Amino acid sequence: MSGTLINASFVDAIALPRMVRLRPNLIGLSFTLMKLLPARFIIRKALEEGELRPGGLIAETTSGTFGLALAMVARLGGHPLTLVSDPAIEPPLRRRLEDLGATVHIVRRAGATGGFQQARLAVLERILEENPGSFCPRQYNNPHNPASYAPCAEQLANAAGPIDCLVGSVGSGGSVCGISSYLRLMSPELNVIGVDTHRSVIFGQSDAGSGRLLRGLGNSLMPRNVDHTAFEWVHWVGAAEAFRATRRLHREHALYMGPTSGAAYLVAERWARENPDGLAAVVLPDEGYRYQDTVYDDAWLAEQGVALDGTDAEPVEWDHPHDGDDAWAFYRWGRREHAEVMASADTLELALR
Amino acid sequence: MLAPVRGAVVPRARTTPAVALFPPADAPFRTGVGAVQAHHGEIVQGLFYSADGALEHGLVTLPCGLFGTRARFRPLRSGPLTVEPADRGRARTAARLTLDALGRTGWGGSLRIEGNVPLRWGCGSSTTDVLSTIRAVADAFDTVLQPEWIARISVAAETASDSLMYGPERAVLFAQRRGCRLLDLGGPLPAVRVLGFNTEMDRGVETLSLPPIPYSAWETEAFQPLLGLLRRAVERHDAALLGRVATASTVITQRHRPKRDMPRLLRLAREVGAVGTQVAHSGTVAGFLFHPADDPAGRMAHARRGLRHLGVRHSWEFSTDLQPKPEPVS
Repeated sequence: MSGTLINASFVDAIALPRMVRLRPNLIGLSFTLMKLLPARFIIRKALEEGELRPGGLIAETTSGTFGLALAMVARLGGHPLTLVSDPAIEPPLRRRLEDLGATVHIVRRAGATGGFQQARLAVLERILEENPGSFCPRQYNNPHNPASYAPCAEQLANAAGPIDCLVGSVGSGGSVCGISSYLRLMSPELNVIGVDTHRSVIFGQSDAGSGRLLRGLGNSLMPRNVDHTAFEWVHWVGAAEAFRATRRLHREHALYMGPTSGAAYLVAERWARENPDGLAAVVLPDEGYRYQDTVYDDAWLAEQGVALDGTDAEPVEWDHPHDGDDAWAFYRWGRREHAEVMASADTLELALR
Repeated sequence: MLAPVRGAVVPRARTTPAVALFPPADAPFRTGVGAVQAHHGEIVQGLFYSADGALEHGLVTLPCGLFGTRARFRPLRSGPLTVEPADRGRARTAARLTLDALGRTGWGGSLRIEGNVPLRWGCGSSTTDVLSTIRAVADAFDTVLQPEWIARISVAAETASDSLMYGPERAVLFAQRRGCRLLDLGGPLPAVRVLGFNTEMDRGVETLSLPPIPYSAWETEAFQPLLGLLRRAVERHDAALLGRVATASTVITQRHRPKRDMPRLLRLAREVGAVGTQVAHSGTVAGFLFHPADDPAGRMAHARRGLRHLGVRHSWEFSTDLQPKPEPVS
């Protein structure tokens, strides 16, 4: 927290976000690597609770930022780490993980059912079985993931006081559900907007179809850490809008962030514009270096059919969650359980038929 | 930026301290007096990370000038150490420990305690006895003890202690089981008007025998954001923020030590425009907090009517404003 403090480790030094005013009523929570918070806390708790022995093996399936965060925490804590990934892992990330001492196990063949994700899980289970005393953090289901965001809520509460709205992209449910659960203790009236992407199952779409070009948010499986009752509104953001907003963050604010940050910023910017008397904070989970050859490469963007200077269409309000094209859409989730929303959506679809 | 108080300032040991510069053996003595204001439960009580990352039980009390204790101590070079009323064993222990700390081991004397702090309501009756005693004994030898020493003697005498030795001028996050400051909040709590009452009518609970609350991992972490907002409340003298912190702590504690009718009391507080609801986390008093500049009298009258509907007939008002009231210009 304090600028005059010498941190015990680099992880401690960069775990919390910088707070940046993006508009008079919008605070950006700009993380270097957001997943350090859950990685650090999950490992600390596993040691405290005896699930992980000092020096014990940590194993997890990931090809994303959680893997990198785990590799940093495991290295500093003296734990061997095995990460199960698939051939899509970017070579620079793999090199960095291995430099941190992690063993990266690449699953070469997708499973007959469930694709690579299922195949990776099968390998992970085998590794855990073969190594008694090993520990798997399971970021999607481990309740210590959302609980790890309390220091972030402390920083925001101390610096900004009560806010009116929290916006963030949803992948594991950890950050937005965690931060908002703590903020709501002090501001029960807090508005929470979740940002998802098309063909993610989190807020009621099906993952069938052509995959998700926008990575780092959304999910093909439902994480237990998503508390659906946290969300008043849900937005589904397509890749084109998210990429443009990512570049806007850089071009207008010098914030070099990843596309999940862009997606959240797009939605937060709209809320801030429409609610000039309210105060919002937006979660910006990671930096842009991983996306230098994609989102930050104009030629790559053009190949994906994304016009950098194109204008964003206004989002469409849906009366129930459904599959759609990649157009930006939103829905009043109303802090309901997933099943409740789905049941009412089914009723509505039947009535419309 | 407030730095947490480091272990070097306050030693960890729970034994009686030796004061480095106690009065010389032949120093004169007199009848000493000590007075201590009680509190009205806490703004927040829970688990907090100390500077070295360990979790400690901690609290921030709400000062209350309505209740207080006064002690008189007349030392004797030898003989018994007597206390009146005779059931104040912890005060007697505190007097003995303070004499030891002042290099007066083996001395006796007579200690007399009087006050109006309700017993077993969570207003710090035991601590006010002990603190006023420690001050009276020190005063008898013309000595003023540092709050850190008082805290350690106090914890040694009664197992858990409140932060009353720091006085209302400076709010501190206090480790009640270790007897030391975890954080100095850098100033007094923002002034509030309080409408106090007892949720269990006039009954109380035996506060010192209560085991620590088994907070969940989520709850344990939750005290960090509360402390973040509390620091802001103190820095900005913001009563509304103080109210939010108090209510949040009340809500967490209610899950473990439910107070009668608390959901309805919390709703009433919102309806009458209180900035928050605080409780004695180990006790039975509660208070609605009002912004001093936002029609506290009218809102309190409204709240009293609501309390009567809930069967709470007795209530009392006080202010935590430390500023002297200006004399009216004539």
